Amino acid sequence: MTDLIIILAIILSLLGGFSTVFVRSSFDKLICLGILTSGAVLFLVNKGYLDVAICVGLLMPIGTIFILLLLGKKKEAAK
Amino acid sequence: MIVEGICVVIAIYCALRAVFERNTLKKLPFLNAMNFAVTGAIVLLMPHPITIGVAIAYFVGSTLESNAIASTIASWEEQ
Amino acid sequence: MIDILLAIPIAAVICLLLFGSIDFFWKLPKTGGVSGANAIEKAIENTGGDKNGGWMIGNIVTSPDASAGTLLAACGFYIWGIPGAIISIVLVFAGARICADKGYAGTSGAFAAAIVIWLLTTFAGFPPESFIVACIIAILFVQGISTKYASRIIGKIWRKLS
Repeated sequence: MTDLIIILAIILSLLGGFSTVFVRSSFDKLICLGILTSGAVLFLVNKGYLDVAICVGLLMPIGTIFILLLLGKKKEAAK
Repeated sequence: MIVEGICVVIAIYCALRAVFERNTLKKLPFLNAMNFAVTGAIVLLMPHPITIGVAIAYFVGSTLESNAIASTIASWEEQ
Repeated sequence: MIDILLAIPIAAVICLLLFGSIDFFWKLPKTGGVSGANAIEKAIENTGGDKNGGWMIGNIVTSPDASAGTLLAACGFYIWGIPGAIISIVLVFAGARICADKGYAGTSGAFAAAIVIWLLTTFAGFPPESFIVACIIAILFVQGISTKYASRIIGKIWRKLS
């Protein structure tokens, strides 16, 4: 029953990681990192670390917001 | 069995559409549909009362991430 | 008890009607709530979509609206019954306030969905997990298949209703 969801977590992590490497634009890299994080949260919930999953789910957008603030200083890097 | 199968198929389909879409802003609806499917998969994976907190924290976090990316692109296009 | 293969399509239609009517009631397709929703509306309109449908898709993406309320109330009800649904209603309101939204659409959507799911599971015999899958299928039709045609259909319905 839960094997299907573990397969989903593996596919999402691999897809997010490899597409983060191969995609050009900075915003697309952030979106692909979101896909990678969804796979990681599924792995954490599978083992029962529910509090760690809450922390990761809330800290992911904070990291993204700081990266976006840093990107605002050099605009030519994010084409 | 069939419930998990539908969640997994929709999540993988939306992740692939989000990775291979060209326009950055048009990736965000597919990412949102994938977040719906992953939230459902989290709840189906471990039915425990704290899992409600995990599902809502993950969903709100990913929505906040989409909001930050879209508003940053909007503020750059104005300048 | 209804068989789950029969329960999922009926529940999908019910979820689509429920969050569509609540989103139309709070006037989501009228204008963009935050600046990100306006950017998504412009991107959809440049590729052949509709203006009002683009605003509704943008508002759903950038803040937890009635669709998210429906899904999370179904999750809470599946896990813990009525106390879980109440917890999810309160947390949806807090989450909508985090995303710079007013939170009326999400909270009322979660409340209405909790009542509908309680009625249908108690008296009609629907399994509770069918509503989770039903809401995922409903949101797939709104923003997963093709944003161009979905925004055109939403805009047509909105102009006919207003």
